[in-house]
Amino acid sequence: MKKKTRKVAVVGANRIPFARSNGTYTHASNQDMLTAALDGLIDRFALDGERLGEVAGGAVLKHSRDRDLTRESVLGTRLAAETPAYDVQQACGTGLETTILVANKIALGQIDAGIACGADTTSDAPISLNEELRETLLEANRQTTTLGRIRALTNVRPGHLVPSIPRNEEPRTGLSMGEHCAIMAKDWDIVRTEQDQLAVDSHHRLAAAYERGFFEDLITPYLGLRQDQNLRPDSSLEKLSKLKPVFGGPEGTMTAANSTPLSDGASAVLLASEDWAKERGLPILAYVEEAQTAAVDHVHKREGLLMAPAYAMSEMLGRTGLGLQAFDYYEIHEAFAAQVLCTLKAWESDDFCREKLGRSEAMGPIDRSKLNVNGGSLAAAHPFAATGGRIVGALAKQLHEDGKGRGVISICAAGGQGVVAILEAPGGNK
Amino acid sequence: MSTLDSSPSILPLYVKAALPLLPGASSLPFVPGGGGEIPSGLELELKGVRPERDRVADYAKVCGFRLREELPPTFPHILAFPLHMAVMSDGRFPFGAVGLVHIENTITRHRPVTFEDAQDIRVGVSRLKAHPKGQSFSLLTEVGVEGETVWTETSTMLRRGKTFGEEQAEPAPFPTLGAETPASATWRLSGDLGRRYGAVSGDRNPIHMHALTARPLGFDSAIAHGMWTLARSLAQLENRLPDSFTVAARFRRPIHLPGRVGFASGDEGERTLFSVRDAGDGTPHLDGTIDPLPTDTAKASV
Repeated sequence: MKKKTRKVAVVGANRIPFARSNGTYTHASNQDMLTAALDGLIDRFALDGERLGEVAGGAVLKHSRDRDLTRESVLGTRLAAETPAYDVQQACGTGLETTILVANKIALGQIDAGIACGADTTSDAPISLNEELRETLLEANRQTTTLGRIRALTNVRPGHLVPSIPRNEEPRTGLSMGEHCAIMAKDWDIVRTEQDQLAVDSHHRLAAAYERGFFEDLITPYLGLRQDQNLRPDSSLEKLSKLKPVFGGPEGTMTAANSTPLSDGASAVLLASEDWAKERGLPILAYVEEAQTAAVDHVHKREGLLMAPAYAMSEMLGRTGLGLQAFDYYEIHEAFAAQVLCTLKAWESDDFCREKLGRSEAMGPIDRSKLNVNGGSLAAAHPFAATGGRIVGALAKQLHEDGKGRGVISICAAGGQGVVAILEAPGGNK
Repeated sequence: MSTLDSSPSILPLYVKAALPLLPGASSLPFVPGGGGEIPSGLELELKGVRPERDRVADYAKVCGFRLREELPPTFPHILAFPLHMAVMSDGRFPFGAVGLVHIENTITRHRPVTFEDAQDIRVGVSRLKAHPKGQSFSLLTEVGVEGETVWTETSTMLRRGKTFGEEQAEPAPFPTLGAETPASATWRLSGDLGRRYGAVSGDRNPIHMHALTARPLGFDSAIAHGMWTLARSLAQLENRLPDSFTVAARFRRPIHLPGRVGFASGDEGERTLFSVRDAGDGTPHLDGTIDPLPTDTAKASV
């Protein structure tokens, strides 16, 4: 292995507008949407016929027929068919994890350029055979005689015809992600108005970013949709305060507005070495500087399911020697407003930082005006594997506009995992 | 030329198209028939057509296209099809449309058409031409977006019967991909393919629906739509299609359903040749060529 690494550039990104579940993209599959996101990226950076080092992508809700979703999507685009591809699945961390994977290979000199991408649909979700029916059919298939097969098939019961539908449920706790987050919100004393305010800010900031044309070279229209379907520019605290809680019982603080809705979409990010980008006259929006993934034991140690990014951030900053205040932008994925607020509170807590993160004191507060400045998942919505690419693209572009500075990304994922990364502007830090 | 307010509904057109099969019906002024030449001025126009997402999604699924922002290159044909039927069931049309055989199709895509484009569709029809197996004519379709021609099509139909005139017109030679280029893909075509394509295209010609409806018209079983076979071929080549190109296809032999066919393609300079053949004996069903338009050669050479 090479000892020396090289810089990794974010050249650009593209996504399709995110649609609400059973909305505009109802009949679009993951492969359709991923192909559309890649099409836009290929067009924008003239990658027709280009043989890239690799394309890493994935989807969280995946049909068995989409075994090689990313490779099949690549084969449907104008990239050279000789571009290898593979699927990654790390729940909502998928999009950022693929960015890290591709970036690391570029840093090591194993490839010169690649695409990190992800797609998810909750409209075209896979529904599988009833588990008992599946086992019965497999058993019948294992029989060598006709009689044996018939005997095995007599075990089919009418109840077996009820298919199994994927649920947003943690396999080892039986709780939904929202229910887990409601426990965190209670533990950390996160009040309702604070969550609603974060949601309102998210909508207003996303609307303002659209208004100033920020997404013009980050989004291509798809199926007639030009901007995120979930966006409500006129969102207000007053309106949000009327909603009933959906998680945490009647006393709960989490509503449909301060939790992300189910949605459909896809995103893609083009990463390359500096030389590769320069040879083609392509821009460098930002550099991928650092990354870290962490996991917590939410099953036996009663850790908050979505608290892993707090750990990942601490480890990453510990390694780089940077303080939590060293950033111009904080892109914290708004799976739920409460998740963001719990994480911020954890970093502000002396107890948490000492006991859980092994630090001598709290990491401290951040300047909230630097948080999700161009809108977050509460406004844009959150097609699981597509969120990482949305955030990397938007942060890289913001850093490029500024010329100098650095931003940090934090994404929580199912299974008690968290992924974080640092991007730096092309002109370095301020 | 007549401009329509909305897309004509297909079923009454089928009835009109089939009426000439009844003895004597053709003498009625609103029923096609009577023989003779195709009159000039049989033109129809439909303005500002935007396809519905779900319709395109269903069509894409049956033909093997991905659902992209740009429409499948064959999709304007689906939008124009009711106009084709309306032209051929006009009382002035010299014969009924039932029993006509689609023998050739040429599409030129000047640029990809997207969901956002409001398409102005204009359909006309050529004069009759001699053909060794009867007479042929072409339906001429042009799609404009804000005054710019983006898509044109020539669908050539054969009316089987006696050829007219002295000249024994031979069909022009058509470039063919040699049998030495092996098939790169095998397609298993289900027995209900004609019904599924009929549902998404509106083309419910009885020869495609079921063996029982195909038999009275001289086929042993239902046969695949030529336009499905062409669409499926373009779907197979989707990532290799330039933005602007001409695809020409000659439908050589019907594909009986259910069935198994092979798809082969190869490049000859800028041109791509493709063919759909019987998976067993290699009998060709469709020969096709794709030529990039001159302005787009840079992209096409990729």
